Order: sequence, then C-alpha cells, then structure tokens
Amino acid sequence: MTSPFVQPFGDEGLGDNLLNRSEEMELNFGPQHPSTHGVLRLKLKVDGERIIDCYPIIGYLHRGTEKLFELHPYFQNVPHTDRMDYVAAATNNLAYVGAVEKLMGLVVPPRASYIRVLLCELQRISSHLLWLATHAIDIGAMTPFFYTFRERELILDLFEEYCGARLTLNCMRPGGMPHDLPVGWIEKCRVFVDGFLPRIDEYEGLLTENRIWKKRTVGVGVLDPQVAIDYGITGPMLRGSGIDWDMRKTMPYEVYREVQFDVPLGKNGDTYDRYLVRMEEMRQSNRILRQCLDQIPEGPIMAKRPRVMKAVKDGEVYHGIEGPKGEIGFYIVGDGTPNPYRCHVRAPSFINLQSVPELCKGALIADLVAIIGTTDIVLGEVDR
Amino acid sequence: MSAIKKFADKIMLLDLFAGLGITFKNMFKKKVTVQYPEERWEPAHRFRGMFRLDEDRCIKCTICARDCPIDIIYIDWHQEVNPETSKKEKLLDRFDIDVQRCMFCGLCEEGCPTEPKSIWLTTKTYELASYDRWDNLYVDMDELQEWKTRPAYTDEEIA
Amino acid sequence: MAGLLESVRHTLGDTLFYWAFSPAIKIVLLLFVGLLPLISYLTFAERKVLGYMQARLGPNRVGPWGLLQPIADVMKLLVKEDTLPIQAVKWAFILAPGLVVGPALIIFSVIPIGPREGELGHVNWFITDVNTGLLFIVALATIGVYGLIIGGWASNNKFSLMGGLRSAAQMISYEVPQGLALVGPLMLAGTLSLVGIVEAQRDQHVWYILPQIVAFFIYLVAGVAESNRNPFDLPEAESELVAGFHTEYSGMRFALFFLGEYANMIVVSAVATTLFLGGWLPPFPHLLPGLAVIPGPIWFALKAFVFLFAYIWFRGTFPRYRFDQLMDLGWKWMIPLALLNIFFTGLIKLWVSGGFH
Repeated sequence: MTSPFVQPFGDEGLGDNLLNRSEEMELNFGPQHPSTHGVLRLKLKVDGERIIDCYPIIGYLHRGTEKLFELHPYFQNVPHTDRMDYVAAATNNLAYVGAVEKLMGLVVPPRASYIRVLLCELQRISSHLLWLATHAIDIGAMTPFFYTFRERELILDLFEEYCGARLTLNCMRPGGMPHDLPVGWIEKCRVFVDGFLPRIDEYEGLLTENRIWKKRTVGVGVLDPQVAIDYGITGPMLRGSGIDWDMRKTMPYEVYREVQFDVPLGKNGDTYDRYLVRMEEMRQSNRILRQCLDQIPEGPIMAKRPRVMKAVKDGEVYHGIEGPKGEIGFYIVGDGTPNPYRCHVRAPSFINLQSVPELCKGALIADLVAIIGTTDIVLGEVDR
Repeated sequence: MSAIKKFADKIMLLDLFAGLGITFKNMFKKKVTVQYPEERWEPAHRFRGMFRLDEDRCIKCTICARDCPIDIIYIDWHQEVNPETSKKEKLLDRFDIDVQRCMFCGLCEEGCPTEPKSIWLTTKTYELASYDRWDNLYVDMDELQEWKTRPAYTDEEIA
Repeated sequence: MAGLLESVRHTLGDTLFYWAFSPAIKIVLLLFVGLLPLISYLTFAERKVLGYMQARLGPNRVGPWGLLQPIADVMKLLVKEDTLPIQAVKWAFILAPGLVVGPALIIFSVIPIGPREGELGHVNWFITDVNTGLLFIVALATIGVYGLIIGGWASNNKFSLMGGLRSAAQMISYEVPQGLALVGPLMLAGTLSLVGIVEAQRDQHVWYILPQIVAFFIYLVAGVAESNRNPFDLPEAESELVAGFHTEYSGMRFALFFLGEYANMIVVSAVATTLFLGGWLPPFPHLLPGLAVIPGPIWFALKAFVFLFAYIWFRGTFPRYRFDQLMDLGWKWMIPLALLNIFFTGLIKLWVSGGFH
C-alpha cells in the first residue's frame, strides 16, 4: 500500500508554494456503481489516487421496514424480515422469530430447532458464496463468480423444495416451522453436503495462494481489534482481527449447544485474513450441517401457541443471533395488542459500514473496492 | 527445505499454474446452462408461484385478506337466501388481488381454513410477464379461476 | 501445395501470376480475408472459451453454435449513433482510433507466415522482408500509444484523460522489457530480419524458446501488459472508477479501439511465434519428417492460436494487478531480468564460439 510511486503531497511543511501544493478532488463513488453492492454512495476526498477522507451517504434503499413492522401482527411480519438482508433471508427470519418467542415465552420443539439450524447454516454458506463471487469479481478474477453461483443454485434448490421460495424464504413462524421437511429432502441435503468440500478447495486453489490475489489483499484494510470493538463491529470482520466472539458459541441459541464446530480467527485483520476466515467458516458450516442431518429427531414442528398472539404490555426483548455478516438482532417492544409497538433492527451491515471510512484512509481507489467487498455489506440491511 | 520449496514456488510461478489448471479442467466439465425457452426448469412442488382461487370451496371467511402482510386482497361478499336449498349462504361479489404488489409470500394460503385450500400458490407458474402493464394490475375473481395453471396440491400430496 | 501453385501459374501465365501475388494484393488479402475476420472471430472465440472455463456456454443463439455472433455485433456497432462530445477536439477525436488500429495492422506486413519463394511454391509467404524487421515492429508498437493518449485527451473528460494517461504509462513502461526480451533471440540469430530469425532457428535446429525461456516469459508478460489485458487491465476495468480512455466513444469508433486491442494481441502472438517457436517450422523435423507434409502457414497459425488461447486463459483465471504494483513489476523485476538474460546469452555465445581466450 505504501508504494514509492504515489507520494502524498499535502501541506507537510512545504509551504504554500504553488508548485508544491496539490488540489484535493472531491469524487462521488456514486449510488450507481458496479462495485458498491447496492446503492451506496461514498463521497471521497482524493489526492491523485490516494483517498484522504470518505463519507458514506446511505438511505437510497430505505423502505420504512421498521414502520411496517408496527402495522401488522407478529407472524405477518416475517416476510418483511426476508427483505432486509436479501442475501441471507433465513437468518433474518430466525432473529425475528427468536425475539418474538422470547417475548411471548414460547418454547420451540427440538425438531423445529434442528430444521432452523439446517436452514441457517445453508444460508450462511450461500451468503458467503455470494460474498466470494462479488469480492473476487471486483478485484478482477471473473471465474469464481460462476463457480460459486453453480453451488449456490444447489442450495437455492434445497430451499425451494422446503418452503417454496429461493431467495425471500418466509420459512419460519413464531413457535416453530410452518411445514415439515418434504420426503427426500434430507437425502438431497446430504448429497450437497458431501459434494461441497472439494468445491471450496477449488475456489481456494484459484485464489488463496495466487500471488496477484495476495498482493491485492494482504495489508489492505487493516482493522485494529480495539477499533473494531469500539465501533461495535461483529461477524467475520471482528474475527479477522483476532477477537474470538461468535454468538453461536458465546451466547448459544437453538441447538448450537449440541453440535461441534470451530470458530476460525484471523491474525492481522487485513482483507486476506477475513477472506480466509470466511472460507473456513464455510467448511465449519458444512460440518454443522453434517451433524444436524445425523442428529435430527422426530417430533412436532410447531409449539402450542395462542390463536391471537398478544404481547405483554410494555414487554421488551432483544434477541441477537450470528448471521453471516455479523450479529443481527431485533429489539421488540410489545404493548398488549397483536401488533408490536416498536421493532428496531440491529443490522450488522449498517454497523460494519462505519469502519469503511476508517479503513480507507490513505488507501488507493483500487483498494477501496477491495475494502467495500471485504466489509460484506448488503444495502437492504443498511437502509432497511 | 520448506524455504527452498517456497523459493522455488515463487520462481516457478506454481501458484499461478495451479489456478490455470483449475480453469482448464473446468473447460471440459458438464455445463449447467438451461436453454430457456426450449428447456424449462421445473419448479418444486411447494414452489410459490402465481396464486389461484377456487370460488366453490371458498367459505368467505376473509382470513386471507386479514393475513396478507401488504393488504392487497380485497373481498366483498353478501348473504343471500339460496332459492334451492332455502338456506342463507354467502356469495362472493369481489375478490381482487393487486398483482403489482404481491410478494408471493404464501401467508394467504397458510391462513385458508378449507381443505383443500381455496387459494393456493403451488401452481408452478412463474412466467407472469405481459406486454401491457394494465393486464396485470388487478386479477379479479373470474381470471383467478380461469388462470391456466396446475391444480392445487394438498398437504398430503406434497409431504 | 507446390504442385497446386504450379498449375495455377501455368493457367494464368507468368505476368498475371506474379501480379496476382504481388505485395499489394497480398496486403488486401491479408487484411480482408485474413486479419479482420480473424479479429472479429477472436472476440467470439474469447467469449466462447471464457464461457466454457466458467461452466457456461458462450453465445450460442445467433447461427449454429453462435458462429454468426461477430457479424451481429459488427452490424449493431455500425448502426449505433456516432457521438461527438461538444467540447471535444474534433480532429483528435476522429484520429485516435485510427492511431491504435493502424500500427497493429501495419506490423503484419513484415511478419512471415511461411518461407521464402521457392520453398513452398513460387510466392514469398510474407509481404515484405525488411532487413530491420524487428526494429520496425518495436517502433510501430510504440506509435500505438499515441492513439491512447490522444483519445483520452480529446474526449474532454477528466476521467478519460486519467484513464488514458494511466494506460499510456503502463504501455510505455512495458515497452522496455518487451524490447529487451527480444534482444535475446536476436543475439542467437544474428539478424534483425524476421525471415532470417526463423531460418536461423531452422539452421541451428533449435527453437529459441529452449535457450531463451526467461526471455520468452518476459516477452509474454510484457505482451499481455502491452495489450491492456487481464491481469494488467486496470485502466479499462469496469469495476474501477474510470472506464478508461474509450468512455466517450460509441459505435464504430469504439469498435475500432476494441479491434485495435485484439489486433495487438494477435501481433504479440505472431511475433512470439516467429521469434520463440520457430515460425512456420514443423516440430521435430528429424524425428518426425512426416509432419513436413502440413504446410508452414498452418503450423504458424496453430502456434499463434496457442498464444491466443493463453491470453484468454489468463483472462479467465487471474485477478487484476493494482496500478502501482503493475509498474513495480515492470520496472523492478522485468527490466533487470531481461538485462541479465542479455548478459548471460552474450556470455554463453562467447563461450560457445570460443572467444574467451
């Protein structure tokens, strides 16, 4: 990153001599841009190629989701949660549904819990595959995009068999699951799980040891662990800097206590480490899937719940889970009616986006693309 | 030894050749393209496609209208005495769904209490494009019944 | 092959025959029958091959297996609106694409695709044999850079200008290793004429890729950088901020820039074939004399296609270098390596010819 070819000028004791002064240009990395993964607008102050300051402007995808939550009963809000982080719908559903259950005091039967974990881990793999595709294609490698989407198709087919939709799943209800697993789903899932590990090796063979990839990502976007904790960053961005915090291990929910898996950590906090963390997370998700498929019990899939779900007046709850991008949490306040009084979403992309101005100070514009890619933001979540 | 290996790796560009090998091998593997429209991909049984209504089964309970998260189902019914059976029964005046806004979430289907359901989305229809926007604005009662789709699947058939 | 040409000469008569195969006609044939269709079908081949590497089919709707796709593309580009930005410098805007395509096509006048007259029929399988052919090629390749700078400047768009300047800087800095790498085979052959170099490979019974493998790699990498291709295509990458010097061009002008890039690719492949892989020579002439039945031009084409496939292969596999890393690579690694190569080639040549005492 500190290349001798791009010397920063600026006013470091060179005086106001016209020859030595360089102008700062204000550049708009606009809402319509192939690499901003949505409608993110960044106002950059650039000196030649080097970024001096960066100011994100969001809100281009705001749809008033939190207000929409207040207008409908609890179980009708599940489709709205799908559309926040539209890449990882199952984890959004799980966070919301978990919060509602906490509020109402419902206990989910074990089979439903296992199905939820299956769907969430499949969703985690699918979200990381999409992240890899877009990150690689921003840095210039075109082929991982097509290979990862080939695997993603298999996962989306599994989702479609289960709940009928591929992307906006609407697959969970407060209290359990709406449908049971169809006949043959577990075998199909097993076929996928068994065939997935060689594919990850294929993507790694294309990228991990590649010297061009390493040159583009090692040392780029280094996130200091203390800064990460101060900003409230969670997910692979935090684990890439070496901090061991995974909600599935530290504050377990659903059946994560009964499966074994490791949490990968990075060392330096740069883009390359976060890349390695996410690749390893895919392998660990595969491991969890295998264990869940073996351990899934028979039983009911929906808890006994009242016909009209009313919350306790002034009951409030916060429930957070580990989504693919970080901790996604719902803070719900009930007021005795079937509709929530207030429902606030702790969106991980929104909080992780705070680190982008910090990470890109002093980087080149080419690095900015890599940094946005490694932050793994989805604008649906940032803007809600 | 590993230092020598690393040095040789760097000089001989082995990492780059590994990447080249992977793309070369993939050239000869089977391609996953589906040649639409000659080959069509067949959705799963539970696929939530275009909805369809069966007026005879419908008991006009309006649960589907209440359950819709975006309130796009409009139902009007009135009670009448049937001259043949001399019993009061409900008749459907209007059952319109705003297709512009529908997100095919399936909550209306879940709420429907009849068995088999009177409104269902498992019709495996996903090709809803039309040349004129006004064709798809509202889909009313008659169109919903004559929609050329598959018949409904009940839960027993699916699971 | 020789017999066929003999019978054609017999039918047409002497003057008509020599006029028919004069350099002028050869130029026309080369351009319209050889190069331009080759360049358009190269774009098609790239899309197909890239698609196959990426687990999908390339274009396959237009014509059988998509073979009419380049024609459809050319038709589309021809009927597009020819924009001219209001504040642009008109003469420069119009001149720039020509300056990129022109030199690339002119270089083909010295590249031999077959042997001299007498060995394969009574024609010279090249348009002309300049005895400083290699110098001519390097010089013309440098003129191609003018087209980029003028195109970027004439667009009156600061991003185009920046993109054009970066592209030009990249091309200039890889000209030096390219030229130095070419000195290696030159020293072994002893002549700058391209036909002479291939004949030297035939007389010395070795293709220069074997003794000059370092120069071969440097030339290949510098060639990829010269044509602004992946992994060195930062100035024209879509996911970066500037879309490059050809932002403001549309329709046929853009097509000319595009064709210029592919023509550059073919030039680099052709020069690499001539200098390192023995031009039109069949492999293992002593072990497998039967291979000489296939005429020289076919061998040349096959070898050039290997390089073109390598170009497409690189595009499908590698990420992109950042601009400063690209310049690093060119100035700090390629040039010293090329200089070392020249030094060692000289030493070995001196030692072999016994000049050390």
